[in-house]
Amino acid sequence: MSKICAGVWLFLFFLTSLGAFADQEEPGFPFPWSRFTLKNGLEVVLSEDDTLPLVSVVLAYQAGSIYEQPGKTGLAFLLENMMFMGSLNIGPMQHIGYVNRVGGEPNASTTEDITYFYETVPSNQLALVLWLESDRMKTLEIDAAKAERAKQSLLDEITQRKTAEPYLDSLLAFDRLLYPDFAHGHSILGREEDILRLEVEDVRAFYATYYVPNNAALVVVGKIDLARTRELVEKYFETIALGRKLPLFLPPRPPEKKEVVQAFQDSLVPSPAFHLGYRIAPPYSRDYYVLAVLDYLLFKGKSARLYRKLVKKEGLALYVAGGIEKRKDVAVIKLFAMNNNETMVELCQKSIISEFSKLRTSDISSEELAKAKSLFKRDYINRLASPMERAMFLAEMVFSPVGLDGLPGQLPRYMRVNPYEVRMAINRYLVPESSVTLNVKLK
Amino acid sequence: MKKVSWVCIWALLSLGSALAQQERFRKSPPIPDPLPLLELPKIESARLVNGLTLAVASRPDQPFISLELVILAGESQSPQSLPGLASFTAEMLSRGTPLVSAADMEERIDAIGGDFSTTTTPDFSRFSLHFLDGFLDQALETLSLMVLQPGFSDREIVALKRTQFYELRQKQRDPEFVGRRQLLRILFKEHPYRQSFYSEDVIKNLTRKDIQVFYDLYYRPNNALVVLAGNLNLAIAVRRVSHFLNTWPARDMERPLLPSPQANAEERFCFVDLPQAKEATLVIGNLISPLAEPDYFPLAVLNQVLGGTPFSRLFMNLREAKEYAYSAFSRLYHFRSCGYYAVTAAVIPSASSASIREILRELDRISREKVSNFELEQAKSYLMGYFPLRIVRLDELSRRISELLAFSLGEAQWSGFNDNITLVDADRIFEVAQRYLLPKPVVVIVGDKDLLLDHLRDLERLEVYDLKGVLLYALVKGVEG
Repeated sequence: MSKICAGVWLFLFFLTSLGAFADQEEPGFPFPWSRFTLKNGLEVVLSEDDTLPLVSVVLAYQAGSIYEQPGKTGLAFLLENMMFMGSLNIGPMQHIGYVNRVGGEPNASTTEDITYFYETVPSNQLALVLWLESDRMKTLEIDAAKAERAKQSLLDEITQRKTAEPYLDSLLAFDRLLYPDFAHGHSILGREEDILRLEVEDVRAFYATYYVPNNAALVVVGKIDLARTRELVEKYFETIALGRKLPLFLPPRPPEKKEVVQAFQDSLVPSPAFHLGYRIAPPYSRDYYVLAVLDYLLFKGKSARLYRKLVKKEGLALYVAGGIEKRKDVAVIKLFAMNNNETMVELCQKSIISEFSKLRTSDISSEELAKAKSLFKRDYINRLASPMERAMFLAEMVFSPVGLDGLPGQLPRYMRVNPYEVRMAINRYLVPESSVTLNVKLK
Repeated sequence: MKKVSWVCIWALLSLGSALAQQERFRKSPPIPDPLPLLELPKIESARLVNGLTLAVASRPDQPFISLELVILAGESQSPQSLPGLASFTAEMLSRGTPLVSAADMEERIDAIGGDFSTTTTPDFSRFSLHFLDGFLDQALETLSLMVLQPGFSDREIVALKRTQFYELRQKQRDPEFVGRRQLLRILFKEHPYRQSFYSEDVIKNLTRKDIQVFYDLYYRPNNALVVLAGNLNLAIAVRRVSHFLNTWPARDMERPLLPSPQANAEERFCFVDLPQAKEATLVIGNLISPLAEPDYFPLAVLNQVLGGTPFSRLFMNLREAKEYAYSAFSRLYHFRSCGYYAVTAAVIPSASSASIREILRELDRISREKVSNFELEQAKSYLMGYFPLRIVRLDELSRRISELLAFSLGEAQWSGFNDNITLVDADRIFEVAQRYLLPKPVVVIVGDKDLLLDHLRDLERLEVYDLKGVLLYALVKGVEG
């Protein structure tokens, strides 16, 4: 008995060592970082990297399109644009000029939940970037002429995108079906009729509500001195007034469990196609980690199951792409396929369902799972490849439910997924009653 | 009580004034610290017994390894009757061996968390494999299968022909691609570089035999180089690369420098019809010196002043002042025997003619007036500041090293880059502007002819080309003649 006990203990010790080894092998964020919060609520994260004399700064606001109200779509994207149109001490377009002149790269992007502003500059120019960012956080100058210009630029962008992406209209219609609530389901680009009706007061109100330090995270990564950087951050940001209490954002009610199939007629698309989606577990929930690895098994890499089956082996699709998409507190798996004709659309959908059925009844091989994990790990680590990418990643994590403290455990969680969990996740989520299909037909 | 009130008021005023004083720093940009020292990764190299050049940049902190294999044969080596052969041969390499299928090759790359891509330029063909640290042997084994035992199976040739055909068709929806290709077809009319700018219809002419002949001729270790960047050193790299590639046989070969073509000198306006394009895309350019010439550094500064950023002359004039353009930039491109500059602008159709005039005016102005000290210093500051940003990712670093070696550029373009930029003055810029920008450039306009031709009536002569680069007809003052 005692021998058995000793055996069990040894086995447990072996497992623990393996776990420890795995953790050591797969650090979730293999770079040092520190954080602090200013009195006005601004979250600040600093991370040193001495490889090159560069520094990347990301200022992220929880001000994406999900915070827009019905009839006011496009505001988040519009405001991203207006942030380059001048603030109290910095003239229109001067922000870009200041950064460019020192060899830096300024940019911005809006997602459904976060709007990011970012710059990489030579490390001696950190103060310049903090000066620029703090000025537009504190005193952005918004007037009717600038708002009109930003509206026109957004309308031009929509026209350009629609010309370049013939399936964009169907994708937007599909999103409205897949995310039935307004907040998650409408496009970042906004509706043209809403944009035309936006008033300068709408822009001012959105800025006053969301572009405040207590709704933002500032991340600095690069060749920095921690004490000096903290001093500079405090100098430029501490006196910016705390914003009003942010409006409560409630996660949507889970949609009814019912299969949705609809058709979308379009005269501009080159061939029939379909969008297929599944509503899955929310980001960073237990099953989400499994589904994120499943995403790689199905869609990512040239040897991914669905690409190989539908495009290469069976020739049913001209093009297949898909993967997980998360919009703040909601996640889905999306697939888009282009086909030669409508018979192919039908056969392609049957083939996908048959593949899911196969995965539902038998475990995938450990080799296939290891390959999916390698690809997952590649993309995960790629997000840390440069100071800028690392800063963006840290900013996203500040606002995620796991937070920065959960960061070290993230990659190991994905790497621990096993074949049984994958099978269970498919049984739970890739089922008809969670699915939405939109068939794109030629008009 | 009164005393207390006065104390309060005094305290509040002091605080207010302290705050106001504190906020003075917001009025103007801060003074930067001194420019930090740029320490570039050390490049070590060796030549293996079969003549293969191997270079290593050690970056022990990296969780990836970046590998570049460069074959020093590009599209300019494709026979005149077979444009596209170099690119097709390069793409075929990853499509299996007689024993390992194309699908298995893909599996191998995915299993090491790999990202594989192929690029063919007029001068060389490059294979890039970026993979997780810890899989060096697997990566080199896969690379050796590609390089030493390519299958060139008929099945894969057919599949690749289909893929390349549709990819080129797809690219032709991009007006900038169409415009640049047309510009280069004209600039390199009689030159072997012309081979790079083909249309999708030439792909069907390629045969298995052509591919095999091209491979046998150029895919040799003494005509190739390997660059590795990541958590490894030269000794390990030599050992591992030799292990997998030492059976690759060398062959006597020469790599003559192609003659530099003559720059365009006569005014020339060309139009390519792209139905349904909403904007007019302008691509205006001419030939310049190759990357290795000392003219490169003043040209680089000149380009910054002219159109390198949204704060350069072209953008400020065409977009900000005149509001003709959505974007307007200039860029330098380099090959082994020469280079070219191209100004690219997306403009509103009704302003296409005026935009062309403005661009030509800016090219003329910079060739006739010396740039101001402010512009000069601003451009130099940008180039020096931006230099490390070009190698910040491991794959960018290995790519940059492979270009240094492929173009035999040496330290002037690496550790000496910032010093060489510092030495540029307004006189040198004026000199190269006169040399390269005074000759009349070729102007290519891409857009929907129904929307644009009316706005181009004031051009003396406009040559109209199809997407294959065939001259259809010419318009004289808007009338076919």
